Amino acid sequence: MAEVIQILILGMALGGVYALMGSGLSLVFGVMRIVNLAHPVLIMAGAYVAYWAARLYGLDPLLTLPIAAIILAATGVILYKLVFEREARSAKYSEMTVLLTFALAMVLEGALGTAFTNTQRVTSPDYATDAFFIGDIFIPKGQLYAGIVSLAIISALALFLKYSRFGYAIRATTQNREAAELLGVNVNFVGLVSFAIGIGLAGAAGSLVSFVFSFFPAKHWEWIAVLMSLVVLGGMGSIFGTVLASFILAVIAAFIGAYFGATWSTLTFFVALFVVLLVRPQGIFGEKPELA
Amino acid sequence: MASLDTNDVLVARKAYNAGLVQDVSKERAYWFPALVLALLLLLPVLQFTGNYNYLIHLVLFTASYVVMASGWNILGGFTGYISLGHNVFFAVGGYFAGMIFARYGISTIILAPFAGLVAGLLGYLVGQITLRVRGPSFIISSLALVMIFRILFENWDFVGGAAGVSLKANDLPVQWAKLPYYYAFVIMAAFSVWAAYRIKHSKFGLGLRAISKDEIKAESAGINTRFYKTLAFAISAFFVGMAGAVWGEYLTYIRPNIFLIILVSVNMVLICILGGKGTIAGPVIGAVLLVAFNEFFVATLGASEINILATGLIMMLCLMFFPLGIVGTLARLRKLPRILNWD
Amino acid sequence: MSGLLEVSNVVAGYGDGPAILDGANLSVQPGKVHCIIGPNGAGKSTLLKTIVGMLKIRQGSVTFKGESLKGKRPDQILRRGICFVPQERALFPKMTVRENLRMGGFSLADKSKLEKRIDEIEERFPILGERRDQHAGTMSGGQQQTLAMARTLILKPEIVMLDEPSLGLAPKIVKEVFSIMRLMADEGITILLVEQNALMGLKHADWGVVLDLGRTLFEGPAAEVLTDPRIQELYLGGKKAA
Repeated sequence: MAEVIQILILGMALGGVYALMGSGLSLVFGVMRIVNLAHPVLIMAGAYVAYWAARLYGLDPLLTLPIAAIILAATGVILYKLVFEREARSAKYSEMTVLLTFALAMVLEGALGTAFTNTQRVTSPDYATDAFFIGDIFIPKGQLYAGIVSLAIISALALFLKYSRFGYAIRATTQNREAAELLGVNVNFVGLVSFAIGIGLAGAAGSLVSFVFSFFPAKHWEWIAVLMSLVVLGGMGSIFGTVLASFILAVIAAFIGAYFGATWSTLTFFVALFVVLLVRPQGIFGEKPELA
Repeated sequence: MASLDTNDVLVARKAYNAGLVQDVSKERAYWFPALVLALLLLLPVLQFTGNYNYLIHLVLFTASYVVMASGWNILGGFTGYISLGHNVFFAVGGYFAGMIFARYGISTIILAPFAGLVAGLLGYLVGQITLRVRGPSFIISSLALVMIFRILFENWDFVGGAAGVSLKANDLPVQWAKLPYYYAFVIMAAFSVWAAYRIKHSKFGLGLRAISKDEIKAESAGINTRFYKTLAFAISAFFVGMAGAVWGEYLTYIRPNIFLIILVSVNMVLICILGGKGTIAGPVIGAVLLVAFNEFFVATLGASEINILATGLIMMLCLMFFPLGIVGTLARLRKLPRILNWD
Repeated sequence: MSGLLEVSNVVAGYGDGPAILDGANLSVQPGKVHCIIGPNGAGKSTLLKTIVGMLKIRQGSVTFKGESLKGKRPDQILRRGICFVPQERALFPKMTVRENLRMGGFSLADKSKLEKRIDEIEERFPILGERRDQHAGTMSGGQQQTLAMARTLILKPEIVMLDEPSLGLAPKIVKEVFSIMRLMADEGITILLVEQNALMGLKHADWGVVLDLGRTLFEGPAAEVLTDPRIQELYLGGKKAA
């Protein structure tokens, strides 16, 4: 029994981190209809910000989190202006952007690889290797802190979306872009801000990831499939769905990892992605029958 | 408002509708591809005059991409389902033929059609699942497919896991060693271009293009879209698998990190976008360009990271400013030279 | 005579595509119900979308109270008092009815004024009050259309443009929708209506406009349009046009 609880706790803590990694992706898809395959490599960039801040200045990744978020949000603004602002209305836009962000992911991977090489990195604040013990059960502090911070950020995002005027505009644009525009929402600006928030969330997730996983530029391919399985299972564009899917899949993966080995735990996400597409393409909370 | 006359309106409407239809040039020059093929078949004669192995390799490399991109184009170009996971079929073809070659010594060139069939069958099965979704979801599912196969092949001891299996090199003198593969790829390339042409102009091809334009309308027009697109997936996988079969023996090894890296499938996509998705000549032109780019980058930039960056950058620029590719853009401007109009 | 809204010789279309509107003219008189009819693809919806700034005016002009609307964004045009209810009713399916009404007043800066107006709307349309916390996407088609039309009233607009409000609704519900429209007109709101069901639309209108091939072919009092034999033949189901 203790073993099951142990695995459950480890899975939940990781689920929290995945939730933050996926929520930015989900937000950007919801508002902009952009399936941002470059999101994971942008998380990677956030992780490098935390890594170098820790290595050069000895800063704690939790402290650099806002800095990483701001740097990445600024990157988001630039990318939006350069790449995504054009042609947001074209019929095949959503499909086009998958290829476009895929290419962008390659550019960023190449850039990060050139700058920082493909060496495995990880930040190691003290708590990353420490744990709380409750009887036989241990809770790694690093993953616990990361999970809590991640949930705090997501809650703040949810409150912002539900109650602020700008949150109304974002939700309205997500649900019906044309109608929002007709009611006086400047949808292009909403798109810009949501994109920046989404990429900012990637930066925040990156600094958490920096002490939870080891990373190197080419690893983002693996993350792409993991994050995609989260947002597809959660229903593209539903942040709540993404969060729920993160916990479900992380816990399942933890159990599979514990009983069958780490390789198969990664496979959980990919197979889940396939099964969801097969059984319920719109995900748990998606309403559209399919994403055309 | 005295000008309103019933007949005038009807005539005007007809003229208006006719104006919306773009007329398509019907002039073609089949002699040009035939000439190119003949020259390529004669190219190895150069070996009598010196060592042109590198040139042979470049043509072979280009031809292999023509096979794969023409195959990809059947699903991605004609049918409109963009797959980023077609290297899975490259790997399956490569491993199927490679393993038989390693165990029984049967040449992969003979095995290639069978490897293609195995890849095609797998394509059919995968298509049954992933073609239920369209657009972005389909693209994502294709990426997941690569991840799954990568893990499976890396952990499957029978095929050597991550280390792969090495294959015996042939014992021809070095001057002639590449030629069997050279002819295999050139002939496969010619076959795939011809097959793409035949498919595009068949009733089947018309159905695929209807699916690409508007799947719901195609369905209501009586096209069995589910079967059509799954078959397109299978045919497309067939060509890619065939190319993979011979590629393994040519390299003298099969290994997941050669066959299942994302760059292979990106190249198929990029070639078609560069040349022109859904056109016949597009994959050929795109393959020539891509190999030329690659030569340039490897020669001047070296490191693979920069190569990834450059490939991504070309793809981005192409998608943003040149989405129809060379053949598509020229055709829209009605400036497509006759020798490139193979459609 | 110059109207409240003047459209003259407008050329417009989608993106780089062909011109759907190719010299459309329209003169909108205050307080009247105008019904635009014409075959599929004639450019009726395109005309409304162009007026409201969703499509670029390539040539010609649109003026509202003498001011040119050319190059203005949809939010700027909305602020001048022109509301548009597009074909799909333009609701936010996963927002509640109340939230949808709030979105209707998104461009109002004064929050308390907004809440007061929403209360007034809920009083006038009790069904919306009853269902204020229900997601708009779960309501019936007729209720959704009511919500979409009522939502425009929050801004107290001068012109409301309705694109096929009867689409997909049962005949009985359609009657209700048209009576709401009549009510709005009686309050002095100018209505611009696009209807596929030309007979029905013209019956509820004061002024009829025939749009075909992107051009205004005919306009006149609705009753006259209804009885004109040529229009009957071409557009009202007389002889089928090829």
